Amino acid sequence: MIKNLKSVISLTVICAVISVLLALTNDLTAPIIKEQETAAVNEALSVVLPGGADFSPIEIDEYELPETITEIYSEKNGGYVFKMQTSGYAANFVLLCGIDKDGVVKGATCISSGETLGVEKDYGDTLKEKTNETIDDVATVSGATKTTAAYKNAVKDALNSFIILNGGSVDLRDEAQILNDNLSAALPEAEGKFSPVFITEDIGDINSVYASDNNTGFVFVIGEQFVATDKDGKVKTETDLKTTVEAAAKAIINSHLNEIDITKYSDMPTQVAKAYKTDSGNYVFELKAAGFGINGDKYYNPSGEYIDIKVSATKDGKIISCLTTAQKETDGIGSACADEKFYSQFGGKTEADYSEIDAISGATITTNGYKTAVSKVFTAIKILEGVS
Amino acid sequence: MNKNSNMSIFLKGLLLENPVFVLILGTCPTLATTKTVIGAIGMGVAATAVLICSNIVISLLRKLIPDSVRIPCYIVVIASFVTIVEMIIHAFVPTIYELLGVYLPLITVNCIILGRAEMFANKNNVAKSALDGLGMGLGFSIALVAMATLREILGAASFAGISIPFLENYKIKFFVEAPGGFLVYGILIAVVYKLTHGKAPYKKEFSCATCPSAAYCNRGNCQPKEEI
Repeated sequence: MIKNLKSVISLTVICAVISVLLALTNDLTAPIIKEQETAAVNEALSVVLPGGADFSPIEIDEYELPETITEIYSEKNGGYVFKMQTSGYAANFVLLCGIDKDGVVKGATCISSGETLGVEKDYGDTLKEKTNETIDDVATVSGATKTTAAYKNAVKDALNSFIILNGGSVDLRDEAQILNDNLSAALPEAEGKFSPVFITEDIGDINSVYASDNNTGFVFVIGEQFVATDKDGKVKTETDLKTTVEAAAKAIINSHLNEIDITKYSDMPTQVAKAYKTDSGNYVFELKAAGFGINGDKYYNPSGEYIDIKVSATKDGKIISCLTTAQKETDGIGSACADEKFYSQFGGKTEADYSEIDAISGATITTNGYKTAVSKVFTAIKILEGVS
Repeated sequence: MNKNSNMSIFLKGLLLENPVFVLILGTCPTLATTKTVIGAIGMGVAATAVLICSNIVISLLRKLIPDSVRIPCYIVVIASFVTIVEMIIHAFVPTIYELLGVYLPLITVNCIILGRAEMFANKNNVAKSALDGLGMGLGFSIALVAMATLREILGAASFAGISIPFLENYKIKFFVEAPGGFLVYGILIAVVYKLTHGKAPYKKEFSCATCPSAAYCNRGNCQPKEEI
């Protein structure tokens, strides 16, 4: 018993003495270690925010920030350094961006990435001295659009976060989210799932129509207004646009396509794959456009893939609606032909004002091939209508 | 030279009873930290400091520590000195701290230190224990630096970070990788064995009398081989 007690006491005493020794050493070294660590962090962060001092991390959970932001350090002069994780060509694209107290980007650098071209190493320099208003003036780098666009968007997120940190508010939704939110507000039954309706009838001022995926109704977009109807085309809430919308809904619901045998027309343009006529006399064409890799102007196919386009037009040659249904253009460049922003430009065009379409930046061949194919609609209508 | 003279206590660790090449203790840090000479020196100095301090303290306490709790006591002492050395290195030589990484706290479980506490410090006075710690620490450091020199020159064409231009095109990366470490280690053990004529491992000091498990095993079955 006494022997055991002696063991316990001696071990306890040794531990106690040792603890005091450890505490003393820690007292001596802890401030030096802390100083070193702060210096190391400051050095790394000063690269993107020159002149910044006393960086300290901020608890980012307290704010509603863009998802790309992973860490934020505040600085004593009111500036911030943001660490962002995004994905460019590959995932895990990690960036640092320093913003001074006036909301001006003072530096941006890539910490790690799996990008292939190396553009990310210098692209940050082009974003220096930019603010929330001027950042859109910086162009992406042609041939590395995906990397540089991701880079720029991440820095934009940092600029937006800067506003949020300073008590401002920013709409963090992208265009698709805003549209979806508007559509859902008009037609809550759809549970947030909509698909664009390909319009084959002339429905006047209506910009676009969306059908709910669960078949509960339609939403008609007229300027800034969103008007919902049920699946039979009855307007849900009273509005002065009721007559227009109900007429349009009726036309869309009752629209019926009759296929035309185009082989009967020997001079039909080769871009036209299929043609249909609606009961109201409009035409719908399925087109195959020669994109990148298929010699743009002339229509033939040595190597690449076609762009599939669907176009509806009135019998007197006015395009009602245009939609890219399939494409395999270069990702991040020519692939923009599948963006609504691009193909919706064709709506309302006639042969006379057809040339006013804005090209896709960096994708001239895709744009030319696309425009050529759609222009054949006018030729095809003339042939089908028997106009020489 | 008298076997127990202070000089011989100090010198035996350098070659005859070198902890790394003869006693084959502390092989893990030996292989891991000998990629660069700087790392080896840092490890050697850190381990020597811990070895001297823990030997002194354990020697001081040798009459106070009850036999049954001696291993926990040694571990507490050793671990604390390792922590102290770690904090000091972190504060004053951060480059070495980063270079050694996890192997620095792992000095705690370095067999050399516990081995010397058990084999020597708990039986000898403070001065002799300190000398033993110094000798063994230096022996450990010399072994590390010898290995690191060979590995760094052959594998990275540099010495202590200074590149050797005429070897630049003849780097054998194998030597800075783990297998190269084993090879160099093996060759050096052979060389040291040749130099010492293999006497050390069969000395009485390493026989039953000092074995930590001696009390629990059948002593009669464990006899030292005759000296060659």
